[in-house]
Amino acid sequence: MFYKNLNIWFFLSLLISFVVLIPILTVFSSFFENTSNYYEVLKNTFLKEYILNSIFLLISVLILTFLLGTGSAYLVSFYKFPGSDFFKWALILSFAVPPYIYAYSLTAFFENYGTAFTVLTFIFGEANYNKNIPKFDGMTGAILSISFSLYAYVYILARASFLYQSQNLIDLGKNLGFSKLKSFYRVILPGARPAIVAGLSLVAMETLAEFGAVDFFSINTLTTGIYNSWIAFDDLAFANQISFFLLLFIFLLFVLEKLSRRKAKYHFNTREGLKQKEKIQLSGSKSFFAFTVCFLIFFLSFLFPLSQMLYWTIKFPENLFDLQITDLLLNTLYLVILSSLALIIFSLISNYGNRVSNNKTLNILSTLSISGYAIPGIILAVAFITFIAWFDENIIKSFGFLSIKKLFIGSVLGLVLVYFVRFYSLAFNGIKSGYEKINISVDESAYLLGFSKRKTFMNIHIPFLRNSLLFVIILISLEIIRELPITLILRPFNFETFATTAYISASEDLLEAAAVPSLFLILIASFFIIITSKYILKINNE
Amino acid sequence: MKKIGIITILVSFFSVFANYVFADGHSMEVNVFNARHYKADAELYGKFTNKTGIKVNLINGKSGALEKRIIEEGADATADLYITADAGRCGAMDAKGTLQGGLTSKAIKAAVPKNFRTSKWVGIAKRARIIYYSPERVTGAELSGMTYEGLADPKWKGRLVIRKSSNIYNKSLVASLIKNNGKAATAAWAEGVVANMARTPTGNDRAQIMAVAAGEADIAVANTYYLALMLSGKKGAEQQEAAKKVKAFFPNQNDRGTHMNVSCAALVKGAPNKDNAVKLVEFLLTPESQEHFTNNTFEFPMIDGVSPSPLVVNNLGLDFKQDMKTKLASYGKNQAAAVEVMTAAGWK
Repeated sequence: MFYKNLNIWFFLSLLISFVVLIPILTVFSSFFENTSNYYEVLKNTFLKEYILNSIFLLISVLILTFLLGTGSAYLVSFYKFPGSDFFKWALILSFAVPPYIYAYSLTAFFENYGTAFTVLTFIFGEANYNKNIPKFDGMTGAILSISFSLYAYVYILARASFLYQSQNLIDLGKNLGFSKLKSFYRVILPGARPAIVAGLSLVAMETLAEFGAVDFFSINTLTTGIYNSWIAFDDLAFANQISFFLLLFIFLLFVLEKLSRRKAKYHFNTREGLKQKEKIQLSGSKSFFAFTVCFLIFFLSFLFPLSQMLYWTIKFPENLFDLQITDLLLNTLYLVILSSLALIIFSLISNYGNRVSNNKTLNILSTLSISGYAIPGIILAVAFITFIAWFDENIIKSFGFLSIKKLFIGSVLGLVLVYFVRFYSLAFNGIKSGYEKINISVDESAYLLGFSKRKTFMNIHIPFLRNSLLFVIILISLEIIRELPITLILRPFNFETFATTAYISASEDLLEAAAVPSLFLILIASFFIIITSKYILKINNE
Repeated sequence: MKKIGIITILVSFFSVFANYVFADGHSMEVNVFNARHYKADAELYGKFTNKTGIKVNLINGKSGALEKRIIEEGADATADLYITADAGRCGAMDAKGTLQGGLTSKAIKAAVPKNFRTSKWVGIAKRARIIYYSPERVTGAELSGMTYEGLADPKWKGRLVIRKSSNIYNKSLVASLIKNNGKAATAAWAEGVVANMARTPTGNDRAQIMAVAAGEADIAVANTYYLALMLSGKKGAEQQEAAKKVKAFFPNQNDRGTHMNVSCAALVKGAPNKDNAVKLVEFLLTPESQEHFTNNTFEFPMIDGVSPSPLVVNNLGLDFKQDMKTKLASYGKNQAAAVEVMTAAGWK
C-alpha cells in the first residue's frame, strides 16, 4: 500500500519541502556553535527589554488593527452610506504602504521643523510650533506604522466573514429585540471570530518579523535583537536564546490560528440557505459618522503617507531625475515574475504530490515547510548564507568541485530561492485552499476515464485552480515589491529595487531622497491591489 | 503557458549562472561593499571608471549585513573593498580576521596621517563629533574649556540631547574616552551623561541638532557634517533656518583635541581584484576626490591642501585642534567595553 503511492510526484514534493526546510534547520543548528562571551552581565537586561518591547508592540498593534479592521469592515459590510462602495476596496490600499515607508512619513511630518511645522507656519505665520507638535517616534511611531499598514489583513478577512454571515441569524437577533450594538457584540462578532483571529495572527506574525520600521525607530525587539547579536556581535548563543523566545511566540500564534481555523469550517456551514443580506441605508448624522470613520482610516493609512511622499517629490524634484526609474522597475518586475513562477509551479507540484500520494510523512513535512513565513526575512537571509558557506566548505570542496558560493550568494538565483522559502506558505496554502474545493472523486473519475496523473493535473486541476492561482500571484507580487531585508542582504552587485533604494536613502538620513522610490513603490503596489480587489469583489458577486 | 514559464526560469537561472562563470575572466573591475551610501560617492566611482577604465561594482547596504556576507564568503571573497562610515567598524572587521594588509603604497602613506590608518584599512574622509549649543540659552562662560568629560557635569542636568547607545558614532566616542580615561572613569561618566539627558535618546544626529533649535534642549552631541547639510538648504528652508539657531563648539581644545572619526576603506582578505582596490583607494585620496567629498558630504578632507566646504569653514570654523594622539584603531578594540559601559549606565 505504502509503496504503491511512491511516485515521481511524491519525490518532487519531498524535495521541495526539504529545500524550503534547509534555512530553517540552519537557524537551529547554527545556534549550537561556540560563541563569544561579550556582555555576559548585560544579557539578561537585554533579553528582558527585547521580550517586553516585543510583547508591548505586539499587543498594541493587535488592539489597534482589531479596532481599525473590524470597525471599518463592519461599517462597509452592513451599511450603505456615501462612499461605502468606494471604501469597500479602497481600505485595502493601505497594503501598498509598507510599515517602513509609513515610518518615514510619520517622522517627516511630525519632527521638529517637519511638514507639520511648515503647514502651521503657512497658515498661522511664523512661531515656534515645535513644542506643540506631538512627536510620533520610538515605540509610538512603530505601533502606528505597523498598525496602519497591516490592519488590512483583519479588514479583508473580517469583511469576507461578515459577507457570509447568515441574514437569518441577524434577523433572529433583531426579533429578540437586540439593539444594533448588541447584535454586533452578541451575533455578528462571535460569528466572525475565527476570521478575525486568523487576520490578527497574520498581523502578529508580520509584527514579530517586522524589521524596517522597528529598526528605523531603533527599538530593540526580539527580531532586531537576534539581528544585532548574530550579525553585529557574532554572538550566536545569545541569538539562539532570543530566537527561542521568538519561535515560542510564533508557535503560540500558530496554535491559536489552527484552533480558530478549525472553528471557521464549522461556521461556514451556515452558508447554505443563505438569504441575500440587505444593507441598511444610513442617513443624517449616522451616515456622516460612518463616512468620517472610514475616511479617517483611509486618509491616515493611505492618503497621508502618499501625500507626504508626493510633497517631498515635488519639493525636491532633483531626486526624481537622479533615479534610474526604468532600471528599478525592471529589476522589481524581474524578481516578481521569476519568484511568482517558481512559487506557483513548485507549490502546484507539491500540492498535487500531497494529493496523489496521501502520505503522512509528506503531509507533516509540507506543514513544517510553510513555517518559513513565520521566520523574519532578515534571519532567513543570513541563515541561507551560513548554510551555503557551510555546504560549500564541507561538501562541495571535499569533492574537489569549484566553489558554489558565487552562484548562490549575491545572485538573483539565491535571492529567488530565499523568497521562495519565505513566501512558500502563501503560495502553498493559497493553492491548497483551491484544491480543497475540488473533490477527490473528480480525480478518480478522471482516472477511470483513462486520464494519466499528468493529464489529470494539466487538463482538470489547472483550469479549476485558475482563480486561486491569480490571487496567489498577486499576493506574492505585493510581498516581493515591498520586501526589504532579504533583497538588501542577498542582491547582486549594482542591483537595486524601489524598496532597497528607499531604505538606503532613509538610513543615510536622506528621507527626501527616499520619497521618490517610496512613491513609485506605493503606486505599483496600489495597481496590483486594485486588480486584486476588483477580482475579489467579482467573485463575491458584489 | 506553463511550458513557457519553465523555460523562462531555466533560461534566467542559466544566464545568471553564465554571468558568474564568464565574469571571472575580467580583471578590469573592482567590487565595493559600500555601507556609506552617499549619492555623491557613486558619482566619484563614475569618475574613477572614466579615468582608469576599471568598472566599480557596488553593493550598498547596512554595515552589519555586509560584514556578515564578507565573513561567510571567506576565502571565496567577492568583495575587494569594504567602505563604511566609522573607524570602529573597520577595526572590528580587522579583529575578526577578514581583512588583509596591502594599503601601504607610497601614495597612501603620504596622504594619510599615521593614526588614521593601518595596513588593512585607511581613513578616506574625516568628521568630528562635536557639541552644538543654543547661543540664547548657553553662555560663553558655561562653555569655556568644555570637554567631552564635561558632558557629565551636573550643570547640564536636563539640558543635553544625544542619540542612542546603539549608534556607532557614540560607541566610537565612548571607546576613545575609555582609551584615554580608563573604563571605570568612563562608566561613572556615562552615568552622569544619562542623568543630564533632556529626553530619552531618539532620532538621528540631525534630530539632536533640531531639538536644540526647537528649544527641547540646550546642548547636543552630533557629527560636524549634519549642520552643514542643514545649512546647505538640501533639507529645505525650514531646516536651514533652524540650523542658524545653533552654534558649533569643538570640545577638548586645551588637551588632546576634538574626537575625530573617519569614513574608512578596508581591503578584504581574498579580494579578487586587490590591485584595482588599492588603485581606487589611492584615487579616493587624490585632491580631486577629496574636494568632491568636502563639497558634497561636508566631511573634512583626509589630506592636506584641500579645504573643507565653505559652509563648514564659515559656520564651524577651521582652526580647531584635532585629536591626533588617540589611534583610531582603538575604537574597534574598545567597542565592546563602550557598549557595556553605556548599557550599564541605562543609556537607551
